[in-house]
Amino acid sequence: MKRLEIDNIEVEVEPGTTLLEAARKINVNIPTLCYEEELSIFGGCRLCVVEVNGGELLKPACATEADDGMIVKTHSPRVREVRQTLFELIIASHDISCELNCLTCTRQSSCELRVVAEDIGISRMRLNPIYRGLEKDFSSHSIVREPNKCITCDRCIRKCEEIQGIGIFANSARGPETEVTTFQDKGMGNVECTNCGQCIISCPTGALHEVYHSEGVWDALYDENKHVVVQTAPAVRVAIAEPFGAEPGTVATGQLVSALKRLGFDGVFDTNFTAYLTIMEEGTEVVKRVTENDNLPVLTSCSPGWIKFIEHFYPDYLKNLSTAKSPQQMFGALAKTYYAEQAGVDPEDIVVVSIMPCTAKKFESRRPEMNGDVDFVLTTREAGMMIKSAGINICDLPEENYDNLMGVSSGAGDIFAASGGVMEAALRSAYYLITGEELEDIDIKPVRGLTGLKKAEVPINEDLTLKVGVAHGLSNARKMMELIKEGEEFHFVEFMACPGGCIGGGGQPIRADMTSEEALQKRLEGVYSIDSSKKMRRSHENPMIQKLYDEFLGKPGSHKAHKLLHTEYTARGLN
Amino acid sequence: MVIEKKFLKGNPLKDISEYDFPGLRRALSLGQENVIQEISDSMLLGRGGAGFPTGTKWSLALEQAGDKKYFICNADEGEPGTFKDRFLLEERPLKVLEGLMIGAYAVGADEGFIYIRGEYDLPIKIFREILEDARDEGILGKNIFGSDFDFDLTLVRGAGAYVCGDETSLINSIEGKRGISRIKPPYPIQEGLFGNPTVVNNVESLACAAEIINKGAGEFVALGTDNSRGTKLVSLSGDINLPGVYEIEFGCGTLEEIINDLGGGVSYGNKPKFVIPGGLSTAALLPEELNCGYSYEDIEEAGSSLGSGAIIVVGESRDLVEILLKVSRFYMDETCGTCFPCREGNKQINFMLNQHKNKKFTRQEVEIIKDIGDAIAAAARCGLGQTSLSLIESIFDKFPEELIEEVRHSEKVRNR
Repeated sequence: MKRLEIDNIEVEVEPGTTLLEAARKINVNIPTLCYEEELSIFGGCRLCVVEVNGGELLKPACATEADDGMIVKTHSPRVREVRQTLFELIIASHDISCELNCLTCTRQSSCELRVVAEDIGISRMRLNPIYRGLEKDFSSHSIVREPNKCITCDRCIRKCEEIQGIGIFANSARGPETEVTTFQDKGMGNVECTNCGQCIISCPTGALHEVYHSEGVWDALYDENKHVVVQTAPAVRVAIAEPFGAEPGTVATGQLVSALKRLGFDGVFDTNFTAYLTIMEEGTEVVKRVTENDNLPVLTSCSPGWIKFIEHFYPDYLKNLSTAKSPQQMFGALAKTYYAEQAGVDPEDIVVVSIMPCTAKKFESRRPEMNGDVDFVLTTREAGMMIKSAGINICDLPEENYDNLMGVSSGAGDIFAASGGVMEAALRSAYYLITGEELEDIDIKPVRGLTGLKKAEVPINEDLTLKVGVAHGLSNARKMMELIKEGEEFHFVEFMACPGGCIGGGGQPIRADMTSEEALQKRLEGVYSIDSSKKMRRSHENPMIQKLYDEFLGKPGSHKAHKLLHTEYTARGLN
Repeated sequence: MVIEKKFLKGNPLKDISEYDFPGLRRALSLGQENVIQEISDSMLLGRGGAGFPTGTKWSLALEQAGDKKYFICNADEGEPGTFKDRFLLEERPLKVLEGLMIGAYAVGADEGFIYIRGEYDLPIKIFREILEDARDEGILGKNIFGSDFDFDLTLVRGAGAYVCGDETSLINSIEGKRGISRIKPPYPIQEGLFGNPTVVNNVESLACAAEIINKGAGEFVALGTDNSRGTKLVSLSGDINLPGVYEIEFGCGTLEEIINDLGGGVSYGNKPKFVIPGGLSTAALLPEELNCGYSYEDIEEAGSSLGSGAIIVVGESRDLVEILLKVSRFYMDETCGTCFPCREGNKQINFMLNQHKNKKFTRQEVEIIKDIGDAIAAAARCGLGQTSLSLIESIFDKFPEELIEEVRHSEKVRNR
């Protein structure tokens, strides 16, 4: 153990503990900007500098290990003075100006610079912003980069490289021209970006944000000739209350429905309905392919970030992907066929909107093979902004039910929001499809939780034990793919691009007040609380789904189901 | 009257067939510990600018566990006004090679690099030939001079970044990465090139080490002052009649004498406006402060630093703002861009100076410049940043009447 003194308080910490961690142990908050718990130490912003043993040179608390006998001052007059000046410099580099106004910034309410300003107690701002005149990057369907807002803390670079294992960003040029960019400045739409949006979550300044679809949605809502329907993904309901001040994991399903109705949507539906359909189609496919030993393992296909990843990095395995479309796209396809028929509306007049925890869904909706079935995709954040700007506080609303036609959901759909959820739901149904019996022990715990790679064996009958795997976060996806490449046997593997699954999606609210790990954990608890409280926890029990097959699709895997609910993939390789 | 003391200087020494490497041979017979002891006894301080004791560095490196260690010669001489390493690389390259090999042997490194500034065409050419010849002659390779010391050396040409003179940036550059500093600790001695213990020494330090082992520590330690032993190669430049590289025994005279006796006096006006005693990263000294002896301790007492030994003389008719702008432009361009204080601070300073072609600075502006200077010195990530405003700040300190608006009457009263 190392014994030292921080701000006149004795502290004892494990060797290897940094001064930042040691200070947090005694509830001393040292401001940081380039530091993020799960990423490697960068030591660039220098806001966390502290005085050690009265030395002239201040030490970065994030990168200095605690040592015996150290006397550390984290907020001495000199430290506070230096921090103020550093912050002035950072703000000047962030180009706050009329054009880059805080008020129109995507991070207006979750700006880390504002939090840090408060932590420092900033009392002066004497420097002129120096405008860099860099061009915005609009090349991606999912994400926009505004390099003039970038302060080059490199968190996006580290997130993409260390957590997602991709590395589309790098620093280029040097000195004052140093910037974060993509390979050869090609733009995010022209490199191996998976659109997962994790970089957005890491960016402290709003230099990265989603491609906004909200203007298009407003226009559609205002157009009396349009019939606008909306679907909400499972992970949205445990996060949508956050922009209104609620804790992550607060379940606001009914309030969300209510808010969307007030906004003027003609139909408000639950993506769980088609999540459930995905399970039926995918489950049928798994059973068929396992029985016929056809291109095993079957890989899930509902996470569009993961799909783009495999298209770039493991194109040889595209034949292993389930051909089932994602729930979002199944909804789009059905809305413009089955629903149009049922509601008696011309499909041409139907506008389909999705609210997703995801930025990659925007890209997915623009894939040519999806025929434009989904017109607009809003992230949880955008939906929150729209609701707010309609004068609605979601926390104050009564609960309402989803519209009926495609509305009743089973718990099996809700758990799609978390890593392992698709697998668990599919296992519940696959067991039924193979054995004709219900799975007794319904919670399949080994596939739950935030462990990066999960494996389980589920005995189905005397001849068959299903070997399944779950990976979330693209670094883990890569590890899982390598295991498969090396010949490890699986029947069915679930992949989610984002750490934690959809609850940790790149479109979820950004917390300036807690780590992403903490937010994930709370949302996770929310998701499983919904599931366990539901009576109907197996996809195949849903009466609306049975009705849909009876009236419209035939049976799972039918010709019509294939035409509407299945898709194909593109081998992209490396650029 | 100051005259040169030739300890490192000598006749050109470039032809490997004419040199017997007596220092290296002696080192191999002394054994690793004894070599390091002798370097420690000589009290040699690193000549790159920071002045860290070479013996201590080597002995720490020897103590490091691990089979693989690297030894690097830092020949990325980039400090403006400094050209003494170039002199050694062009005139006495075999001494540099010898010092490098002595060091590598002493710390247990079997692989080395010499990282030469990209613009140094001639030294690069010379070293290329020397490395080829040394391999042919078996001076590099296995069982050097019949000992069990194996060593090979690779030449790396710098790509033009000043920051790569910082040892951690230089290591990144050799690894093929961006030339940016690393966070210390771990120090290169613990985890340097490719994660292995690595010693980085300046060219002049290694030439000194070669002569110390060759002639014995006694001769070296007898030269100079108590805290500054031996000689120093000084690069005299600026508004001076006889610029060049001069070898000076520490304590042999004052800065003023060096400028006049060796440099032939000031060329742009009758007297200097100020003198930069140790390269662009050191504080300016006024003419009346030049009466200080030439040693690490004396120059420090005068409020500056001996740095790399580059003495730049600025004649009395020079325009201060023009100088400030050039200095600031240099640091703005050469910061690696990683840490915020250095990148943004130098950019802001340059921006502010540029607004001031023909008018004086307000007191508030000077205060901002001073605040930025303090923040950079206290919080920048590497030596480049920490010292990047030393000179500019000192010029503001020393020429207030020329640069700063007069104190208003009301302020005078309030200050009383």
